[in-house]
Amino acid sequence: MSLENLFSLDLFSFSPLAWLAAAFAGLFFILVVIYSLNFMKGRKGLFRYYLYTVLTLVLTLGVIFADNLLLLVILWGFLGLLLYLLIGFGRTPSTPATARKALLIVGGTDAMMLLGLALVWFLVYGPGTGLSGLAKLSFSTVTIPVAGGLSVAAFLLLASAALAKAGAMPFHTWVPDMAEDAPIPVTAYLPASLDKLLGVFFLARISLELFILDSTLGIVLMALGSITIMAAVMMAMVQHDMKRLLGYHAVSQVGYMVLGIGTGNPIGICGALFHMFNHTIYKSCLFMAAGAVEKSMNTTDLHRLGGLAKLMPLVFGAFFVASLSISGVPPFNGFASKWMIYQGIIGTAGNGWTWIIWLTAAMMGSALTLASFMKLIHAVFLGQASPHVTKIAESSRPGTPFALAAPIAVLAVLCILFGVFADRIPFGELFSPVLAGEPVFPGLWSSTSATILILAGLFLGMVVYLLGSAGKTRSVAPFIGGEDLDARPSMRVSGVDFYSTVKDVKPLGVLFDWAERKHFDCYVVGLRFADFLGGILSGLHNGLLGRYVLWCLAGVVALYLALIG
Amino acid sequence: MAGEYIPLLVAVPLAGAFFCALAARKSGVLADTIGTLIVALVLALSIYAVVSPPSTHAVGGWPAPLGILLVMDGLASLMLLVVSLVAFLVMIYSLSYMNAYSGRWQFHTLFLLMLAGMNGVVITGDLFNLFVFLEVASLASYALVAFGTGKHELEAAFKYAVMGSLGSLLLLLGIAFLYGYTGTLNMAHMAERLGELGVAPITVAALVLLLSGFALKAAIVPFHSWLPDAHPSAPAPISAMLSGVLIKSLGVYTIARLVFNVYGASPDLLNLLLVLGAVSMGIGVILALRQWDMKRLLAYHSVSQVGYMILGFGLGSPLGILGGLFHLFNHSIFKSLLFLNSGALEQATGTRNLKEMGGLSGRMPTTSWTTLSASMSISGVPPFSGFWSKLIIVMACVEQGRWFYGAWAILVSVLTLASFLKVTKFAFLGKLGKGFENVREVPWPMRFGMVVLALLCIVGGLMLVPEVKEMVLTPAVRVLDHGILTLGEVVRL
Repeated sequence: MSLENLFSLDLFSFSPLAWLAAAFAGLFFILVVIYSLNFMKGRKGLFRYYLYTVLTLVLTLGVIFADNLLLLVILWGFLGLLLYLLIGFGRTPSTPATARKALLIVGGTDAMMLLGLALVWFLVYGPGTGLSGLAKLSFSTVTIPVAGGLSVAAFLLLASAALAKAGAMPFHTWVPDMAEDAPIPVTAYLPASLDKLLGVFFLARISLELFILDSTLGIVLMALGSITIMAAVMMAMVQHDMKRLLGYHAVSQVGYMVLGIGTGNPIGICGALFHMFNHTIYKSCLFMAAGAVEKSMNTTDLHRLGGLAKLMPLVFGAFFVASLSISGVPPFNGFASKWMIYQGIIGTAGNGWTWIIWLTAAMMGSALTLASFMKLIHAVFLGQASPHVTKIAESSRPGTPFALAAPIAVLAVLCILFGVFADRIPFGELFSPVLAGEPVFPGLWSSTSATILILAGLFLGMVVYLLGSAGKTRSVAPFIGGEDLDARPSMRVSGVDFYSTVKDVKPLGVLFDWAERKHFDCYVVGLRFADFLGGILSGLHNGLLGRYVLWCLAGVVALYLALIG
Repeated sequence: MAGEYIPLLVAVPLAGAFFCALAARKSGVLADTIGTLIVALVLALSIYAVVSPPSTHAVGGWPAPLGILLVMDGLASLMLLVVSLVAFLVMIYSLSYMNAYSGRWQFHTLFLLMLAGMNGVVITGDLFNLFVFLEVASLASYALVAFGTGKHELEAAFKYAVMGSLGSLLLLLGIAFLYGYTGTLNMAHMAERLGELGVAPITVAALVLLLSGFALKAAIVPFHSWLPDAHPSAPAPISAMLSGVLIKSLGVYTIARLVFNVYGASPDLLNLLLVLGAVSMGIGVILALRQWDMKRLLAYHSVSQVGYMILGFGLGSPLGILGGLFHLFNHSIFKSLLFLNSGALEQATGTRNLKEMGGLSGRMPTTSWTTLSASMSISGVPPFSGFWSKLIIVMACVEQGRWFYGAWAILVSVLTLASFLKVTKFAFLGKLGKGFENVREVPWPMRFGMVVLALLCIVGGLMLVPEVKEMVLTPAVRVLDHGILTLGEVVRL
């Protein structure tokens, strides 16, 4: 292979789906930059910050359009480093630890991806072709039917990188940490939007373009997805920091996408991809709203917030829309895609009884998501203002600057548009080539007419209320047990402990306890194990020369025994 | 004969060393000048060796196998390039760094002696001559480890000297066995004779002795115990030379020559290399994870990374050898850079303890980004150079159906990343450590060395561009892959 041959390879392919993903990446880049103009103002190293942001966009576009696998792996790996550098702009004491954790999990799975790449090369070209064979692997020319251990291993290795990037279990633990420690625009940019696009898009491409999956692997993916949905949403329910809570939801929602891809039928896949796009919209909206709260209140601790709906009405409105969207309430976009995923799961009913589990997990997940957002909205926006909020509200009138408000508002509007007009989107055309043909919707569903019905219902309810009982209600100041709350701020219900009783349920309590001790965190468990081994080994290195000489002699004997046989 | 220039590669640094000792005792500037010029000249000669065709030179006109034959083949020229490139950049760095030490002329004399020894090991075609040069380089390095003459330095140098001498003893015994059995010292001739005479208990014994001796110089587990003491104790530029090139030219290179060109790679021998490599990789990295002394951490990584090279060789296929050699090249770049970084940090902050550092990226931007690029390179993050060599090694494992070793290489790579993220986390991220408010970036000669090496880490993958690969790496792979070389072939070079 010479240099000319290298450049004549088809490095990129421009499918409609790739263009769509690229458009989203571009949109988020613009919104995040606008948002950062205000949010990051006055911090050090802003030139580097914007440089990394731009580089991230360029590399993301490269990965999205890449057809060549080697090129994709290289660009992909470099994105991990940029993630690390961008997290470094955080200002909490635990930022360095979080940056390390994120790059270790993402970079570690990239290394697994490398082994997967080598296996794909071995399966396709076999030995003897060397690097030039590796450089020829591309999505458009290679198709591997999954059969036998090697192809399964190759798929799982490549998928692990996708799952880590998207933040699905078991490689999810960096996402909540990062949500807590990294600057909000970075969280909104990477784990909430671009990394989701990259991870799920790549998972879809390897599951549907590169490999031909059998139903067993499909079930593995669906199981992973379901576990991700349930476990992460349970964790989200008991959080007491707004950003961290949202971080767990960023994990939980990936579960839907993995689940949808695992179904293997057009409507499920279509739903997964649609959910991916929807997720980027509502999740960045939520994070950016949290950032606006942080900016004006200097905290995201739920104990110290409350009553912000009056102070920040626009942020509250957008947050409310996005919350309904993530919880899968019609007619917002999250419902539209979740609906398709449910249909996809039901479509796998032919492969055994397991679909009931996945469907239950998906629906329960939505319900629990709604529950945890009720807690969040109560604690942050409704509820009673905490002394901290009251103090800030008295000393300065907190507003939301345009640069923060505009991206939030745009995203909230998109949540509505993508939901209401979901049935007008030509999925078959847009999602090719991953999706072969237009998905068929069973049953009767039209998002637009449903929206009209919902609005009509709301209107009707309003009319009934106004005509019937509006005059008979009375309004009083909030009270608990007969005590006036305004007079006794100490009796305030912050909402933090809404679901803490879930920990008292027998089997769940143990799991929560283990989760708190990080028994499920592959990063912590791995490092603990390595440290344990290291302890034994460094005990052997006691610095005594005599022992070292003995080792050498033992080594000589061992070599002799190995070679004499 | 095209090989007239070959002896110069030893003669020039050797002459420089003695000239330094004789003429530059009074003037540090003169010693610096001599040292730099000599190393630059050696670098130029090495580049010439890479671009010119393979050749030999019979020392003193005595023909092989009786006389000493110097052999400049693809492998030798690659090694020379690695050694002299690193030596040159380290030399520039030390111009500023060594200001903290006295005894300029001694430093340069020892440095040049070590360089002469390494070059000699690489170009000689005679086994006993190789031993002599190996001792020259080793003795110089014992003294250099003790250069600081503090308590720890002296202790480490003593241990290093004892262990090194043990290795030399094993080697000498092995060479004597082989000489007694084959009646020759020329390596190509010896290979021929071994083929004729066949395997005997004494050849196995000699192989074990030689392999152990070279493994000790290469710091392969269980022969590694001296390295984590010796490498951190030396001044930073010397640590860079020791970990960057000395263990490779004295250990890894010699193992490759012995296994492939003298004995011929039998499946048993290759399997043994695979096991040795894998064990080194694992144990080295796990121990590195626990270290808080930055240089000690780096030293353990040298043990681990040498394992990768041995693993690549142990695969025995052209791809595996390519991976091993390319990793050798990359490792000498990024590991010497990391030691130079540790020197910069130590000079600026006065400590090597990672726990005491922190937040230095703002104060020392150059050191920060060069450390990051070297760390990413050693951890195999694309597109840095280490990624490419690890990719090739993993591919070679897969190609041979050695799934376990491929997965092992990946696992060790992840642990390496963990360990280096610890370095960058504690040294550069977070809040500025106490008392570092006035820390300043190191002077330009040190920055120059680090920046050039960092750029090499970033663009190292370009070595695989076919045109460059054909010139630098492929000839070296061919030498090892060719197997046993006959004397006739070597003389005809």
